[in-house]
Amino acid sequence: MDRRTFLKRAAQVGVGALVVGTGAGIAAEVLLDRARRPWDASFFPPPGRPRVAVVKATSYHADLERIVLDGFRAVGADVAGKTVVLKPNFVEYDPGAAINTDPRLIAATVLAIRRLGAAQVTVAEGPGHRRDTQFVVESSGLLESLHEVDAPFVDLNSAALVARPLHSSYTDLHELWLPQPIVDADVVVSMPKMKTHHWAGVTLSLKNCFGCVPGRVYGWPKNVLHWAGLAEAIIDVSAAIRPDLQIVDGIVGMQGNGPIQGTSMQAGLLVFGADPVATDVTAARLMGFDPARVPSIAEAARFLGQGDPERIEQVGEDVERSALEFATLPQFQGMKVGAAGGVGVDAGPA
Amino acid sequence: MAAEPEPTALAAMALGDDDARTWLTEHQHPDGGLVLTASAVVSNAATALGALALAPGEARERALDHVIANQAQRLAANPNSPHDPNLRGWGWTPDTFGWVEPTAHAILALQVLRPSAGSPLLDGLAVLADRECVGGGWNYGNRVVLGVDLPPYAQTTAVALVALQGAEPELFVRGLTALDRLWRAERRGGLSLAMALAAFRLADEPVAREVERELDAELDRTGLLDDVVALAWTAIAAGPGIDAIRRPA
Repeated sequence: MDRRTFLKRAAQVGVGALVVGTGAGIAAEVLLDRARRPWDASFFPPPGRPRVAVVKATSYHADLERIVLDGFRAVGADVAGKTVVLKPNFVEYDPGAAINTDPRLIAATVLAIRRLGAAQVTVAEGPGHRRDTQFVVESSGLLESLHEVDAPFVDLNSAALVARPLHSSYTDLHELWLPQPIVDADVVVSMPKMKTHHWAGVTLSLKNCFGCVPGRVYGWPKNVLHWAGLAEAIIDVSAAIRPDLQIVDGIVGMQGNGPIQGTSMQAGLLVFGADPVATDVTAARLMGFDPARVPSIAEAARFLGQGDPERIEQVGEDVERSALEFATLPQFQGMKVGAAGGVGVDAGPA
Repeated sequence: MAAEPEPTALAAMALGDDDARTWLTEHQHPDGGLVLTASAVVSNAATALGALALAPGEARERALDHVIANQAQRLAANPNSPHDPNLRGWGWTPDTFGWVEPTAHAILALQVLRPSAGSPLLDGLAVLADRECVGGGWNYGNRVVLGVDLPPYAQTTAVALVALQGAEPELFVRGLTALDRLWRAERRGGLSLAMALAAFRLADEPVAREVERELDAELDRTGLLDDVVALAWTAIAAGPGIDAIRRPA
């Protein structure tokens, strides 16, 4: 089922009957209860054996258009004749920090997508901390980069909205307002920065979907999603968006106290995929995390995509040999490969 | 794109537009709220701006009643949180925590239209003091996270100053000092410039003229990316609509 059909069908059938709990406390219990299946299986086909490509890219001065083109071809991306929305991560802007997906990678992706025959390419984001989107996209250089490739930008915090029922119910949101450009797109490409996250462990293509949720309904920061339970909201929102393609910007990532105050990590890698769970599983492994210990990824792997590394066809660089040690906050050490003990997740106010 | 409460309220103030006021009255809920609803999520943060936009009368009073009746949830007591769990403020939705911008809008409406509001108003002012960034100014509402001081932003500092208008004098002066630095660093943002202009004009700060020139240039260059909220704040800040948000002497 393609995303447009999925979203149309979602609109037709209304909210599913799988309503679970209220508030973060009860919702958190759902993550631990494997007997529960808080999703409508008719909307989420089995994941199969997706292909994920790990590609070396040591610098933003590399021939990124060719690298992206090769990466997309490696994972069988089909965008010919389609309307495509690229959704990078611009939650905030700080000139000294590797917070955002690099504008040069985004511009190169616009060009690559066009070479693959896309009918239209738009870049869209709804910053989570800053209401002044113009400040974020101008100061970061994104608008200038998009001007050079003649690509439009849409602010998802102020775009027209459409209400859409959810077909997973890890939170008690039941329904989301989503921006029209996201709902209307044939293909959404999630383009996160490879970063650690001080509430979720890592932030990759699933968490990046938070930027599709409009601030003028859910606030700055999008506190409703945190209040609903962060890991649970990551699953429900990403299941609603279902990004068709992913590129994780790990040329320079962020480690430590991410996603804003961490330090740069020169990983020199891009990760390409057509299954957001498989892509995040691979990217998390490259960061030195055990994806089975990252609650949002592990739970999404039950229905939203392929979470078993043995069932992911890895192409390009070898994941184990390319894996790095992203520093993390002490409370997330339990998510790292080979760590002893469990995981402590303290979803704070923002 | 369908009309919504916040830009309509801002347009009503910016343009003195009776049609916009009529829309607000027609879309006001019986409890006084002006809301966007998405199933369980009710975003009512525009109600305070709606009160400021409405003409004197029953609809305005109901909007103010709604603001007072819908303070945010208290933070759970947490020894690791730098924020006072006894305070509430206002959130973007009434069932979450309080944040700087919706709290500032509520304070503004109460200071201008119902200064006798008492404890909710005092609570809102205390929230702004509690959330002030180290060294002055405000971001969206987190002063410190996991032991790290978070920086203030121009836009949220400006909206807090628009709300205070001299109240809490030491807090206000620190905020003005911070904004004088921040707007220059964030001059590529139209909403930041517009709200900084409003804050400086309300405070009779001469720097307002410099900000207005910068805003004019940004408007010519980018059209503020057609952000209707930024455009409406520009009109309010630069025109007579600013009197709709001026605190009575």
